[in-house]
Amino acid sequence: MRNVLAILIPAGAFSRTEAETITAGKSLAAQLGADLSVGILGPSDDSFARECFAFGAKSLTRVEGLAAYQSEAYSAAAQQIAASVAADVILFPSTTYGLEIAPGVGYRLGAAVILDCVGLIGDSSGNLTITKPVYGGKANSELIARQGPVVIAMRMRSVAPGEKQDGATGEINTIPAPALSPRTQILEHTTEDTGSGPKLEDARVIISGGRGLGNKENFVHLEELARLLGGSVGASRAACDQGWVPATLQIGQTGKKVAPDLYLAVGISGASQHLVGIAGARHIVAINKDAKAPIFQVAALGVVDEWQALLPKLVVALTEHKARNS
Amino acid sequence: MLHLVVCLKQILDPEIPPADFKLDPSAQRAAPTASLVASIFDENALEIALQLREKVGDARITAISLGPPSAVDVLRKALSMRADDAILIREEDFPGIDAHGCARVLAAAIRKLPPADLILCGRETGDWHGGLVAAFLAAEFDRPYTNFVAGITKEGDHFHLRRQTEDGWEIVRSAAPAVITVTNDDHNLPRIPKVKDNMMAFRKQIPAWTASDLGLVPASVAGPNSKLEQSRLYVPVVDRKCEIITGDNAEAKARQLVERLAALQVI
Ligand SMILES: Cc1cc2nc3c(=O)[nH]c(=O)nc-3n(C[C@H](O)[C@H](O)[C@H](O)COP(=O)(O)OP(=O)(O)OC[C@H]3O[C@@H](n4cnc5c(N)ncnc54)[C@H](O)[C@@H]3O)c2cc1C
Ligand SMILES: Nc1ncnc2c1ncn2[C@@H]1O[C@H](COP(=O)(O)O)[C@@H](O)[C@H]1O
Repeated sequence: MRNVLAILIPAGAFSRTEAETITAGKSLAAQLGADLSVGILGPSDDSFARECFAFGAKSLTRVEGLAAYQSEAYSAAAQQIAASVAADVILFPSTTYGLEIAPGVGYRLGAAVILDCVGLIGDSSGNLTITKPVYGGKANSELIARQGPVVIAMRMRSVAPGEKQDGATGEINTIPAPALSPRTQILEHTTEDTGSGPKLEDARVIISGGRGLGNKENFVHLEELARLLGGSVGASRAACDQGWVPATLQIGQTGKKVAPDLYLAVGISGASQHLVGIAGARHIVAINKDAKAPIFQVAALGVVDEWQALLPKLVVALTEHKARNS
Repeated sequence: MLHLVVCLKQILDPEIPPADFKLDPSAQRAAPTASLVASIFDENALEIALQLREKVGDARITAISLGPPSAVDVLRKALSMRADDAILIREEDFPGIDAHGCARVLAAAIRKLPPADLILCGRETGDWHGGLVAAFLAAEFDRPYTNFVAGITKEGDHFHLRRQTEDGWEIVRSAAPAVITVTNDDHNLPRIPKVKDNMMAFRKQIPAWTASDLGLVPASVAGPNSKLEQSRLYVPVVDRKCEIITGDNAEAKARQLVERLAALQVI
């Protein structure tokens, strides 16, 4: 018999990240014939708890007196929660903080640890089948965990949040924060200005630029398009590495995972590590001067041209289209 | 003097086009269809170690790699970027090693060196993307661990780590000794070695430590990840057809594209 625990590290109000982690835990627990416990690290209010129950938590543990994120304090609290509910399958969110503490918690619990997974299935004898993309998304590795504790982080946007049952309730437990003297301290947190659009993770439209843009200034063309379409600007690693846009705009294996309705890739070749980040996009559209660029293998629509020629005309055509339809 | 240890792994070039990617007939790993390179974030890690040495002046950098004999190439590259020392650990001595084992072997090697003030790893390798070894090393040594660092300064007896988050940056003050993983940003692109440094690196002796040099019995280093069984490794099929928008000029293509986008109901 397995006990499934989903660890949440709220960054404010209940968000899609929490919904995804709970949903993954809930369906796994159902397959294993178990119930889902949720552990909340950091401050949270009653409405947060109600959301946890609505998404399928059966019980919930809070840690009293656990302030803002600190890796050692949060790790110790996660271990205490795991012990208190005798969890042997522990899910973490694939956020910066989640990925920071999951491996160490697993290490100290003697657990197998697998991060950045996209598939998770359990069976009635307690075996887990875990799918993890490898080789930059060029292959999938399917792993079987038979016995013993397991720590898993699901890739963001690889789980569609399940149906909510508003009004569902469950047991709430509280444990005290572990006493320790932490060796790290977050001195300051700076939010990067990433333009006027919605958060990349939530954007319905993303206009993304790569090395083909050539320089920082050329990103204004993408911003113009994004404004016109109510979207946000994203980028490939190559564009971020050049310093053309902040690293927070990077989409891909080691950047954001996004799921817009429209993903317009401009001057992006479509390396597998980039495509990994847009697997959840509904329609990919590519503008690239090289007809052989791999991005065209995943795009629904493609234009083979220099962006310098196409984008100004696209702005005009879109503006006209908007005028006709308003 | 600060002692900085950078861990580098040699992997198949991750940037080959998907068409060139093949699985080994064992179907347990990729076929060697690409050249071997240093895993990309490991070079970012070495770069910020070099930058830290430039800032503090008195620091020594040791590059270590657990790998096959070919991994000396990665270490030579590290030396040519101006790491001070390089050590290869013979991977053949540890067949089928998992992430726990890797951390234990690296830890055993690091314990033989002068005490390390900072251990730097990549945020994840470009082949298996484990994202585990650095955190396991920190647990082995019971040292503070910070991930996704892109720049470091030394402030008194602490490090100030510029760490990337979802929405920006944090400055994390960390006690030393510490373990970190490194992510890319525009300030830590690996430098290009100078020709004279390439020649110097070529002449340098790189010791290859064995399991017995480290006092390790190979079977005893394996951890819980070695119990995971890879039941399948496969290339996922993408079956999408791309409609290429045609037209005599950019304007015609743009109009056509807008029409198609409207039909998809995304604008
Ligand atoms: C472990 C690992 C993790 C990684 N993580 C990520 C990640 O998270 N995100 C990511 O993006 N990458 C990631 N990468 C890097 C990835 O492999 C590629 O190097 C990167 O995505 C390439 O970016 P790009 O497409 O902008 O550049 P390039 O591959 O150089 O492509 C530029 C494209 O622009 C086109 N172009 C040039 N000029 C024009 C023009 N005038 N008009 C139209 N088109 C033009 C060219 O034809 C070309 O196709 C990772 C790599 C590794 C090894
Ligand atoms: N065989 C190895 N030799 C040296 N360093 C390694 C090795 N494997 C992993 N590392 C380091 O640990 C980081 C993360 O690896 P992983 O946990 O396997 O994704 C890498 O980027 C390296 O810095």
